[in-house]
Amino acid sequence: MNYSRKDSGDATILRITGSLDALSTPDLRPTIDELVAEKRPMITVDLSELRLIDSSGVGAIVSLYKRMRAVGCKVEVTGLKDQPLAIFRLLRLDRVFPV
Amino acid sequence: MYHAGVIHLRVPGTLRYRDLAVRVVGSACKLVGATDMDTGPFRINSDWDNQVVSAFGEAFNNAAIHSYSAASKPGDVEIEVDTGPTYITIRLLDFGSSFDPDAVPSPDLDTLPESGLGLFIIRSFMDEVTYAPGSPNVLSMTKHLSPHNRPPQKPRDLKHDNGGGSSRQ
Repeated sequence: MNYSRKDSGDATILRITGSLDALSTPDLRPTIDELVAEKRPMITVDLSELRLIDSSGVGAIVSLYKRMRAVGCKVEVTGLKDQPLAIFRLLRLDRVFPV
Repeated sequence: MYHAGVIHLRVPGTLRYRDLAVRVVGSACKLVGATDMDTGPFRINSDWDNQVVSAFGEAFNNAAIHSYSAASKPGDVEIEVDTGPTYITIRLLDFGSSFDPDAVPSPDLDTLPESGLGLFIIRSFMDEVTYAPGSPNVLSMTKHLSPHNRPPQKPRDLKHDNGGGSSRQ
């Protein structure tokens, strides 16, 4: 898993590639904590090059969404396809993150 | 006992080997529906494959994180993948702590849970799931290509013989 963060004004793009799973998700947690602490107003999580995700990875993204929402900020997810899309649909996260 | 046509894989039961095991299962999915002389239909990232890979990944997580984290020593995970013309059956064996699948509640998706989703994903994506506590603990999962081949729906597919142990996701 690789990820990058790019800020532009109030907007932040968090791009995650590869496999976000139980092994790699802990590496992403500090960045999530930073985004929450900074109260970034609008975060876009770009998953267009995410190959695989498991329940741990989903938990991290949902955690980001819930924590940002609690401080009045927004999170959207873009680029879902293939296996990650199957998981998001099963967990009915397409209600929260329209695909 | 050795069975022709069944893929056997044994890896250390740690998350480091998760991706390797998932890739093997993902490739095995391509053999389902193929003849003996064929490497499989041209099917890339189909929903069927995605569902099998997702379920297996959660099963491996449970073995690596829960079975062996609670055990006194680490151990291996044995994986058997049987690919038939219309189905795939995956047996995952570990030698760590057992658990009671019926004690794991279904998640309330309306509350956007951040954990406790693993077994739900396995149960949702596979047609038949059984768990027998061991040692070894044996999780068996089958998925059919066609809905017509699926067995009648049961109130609860995941059954166990006895036992209990650490909580699972």
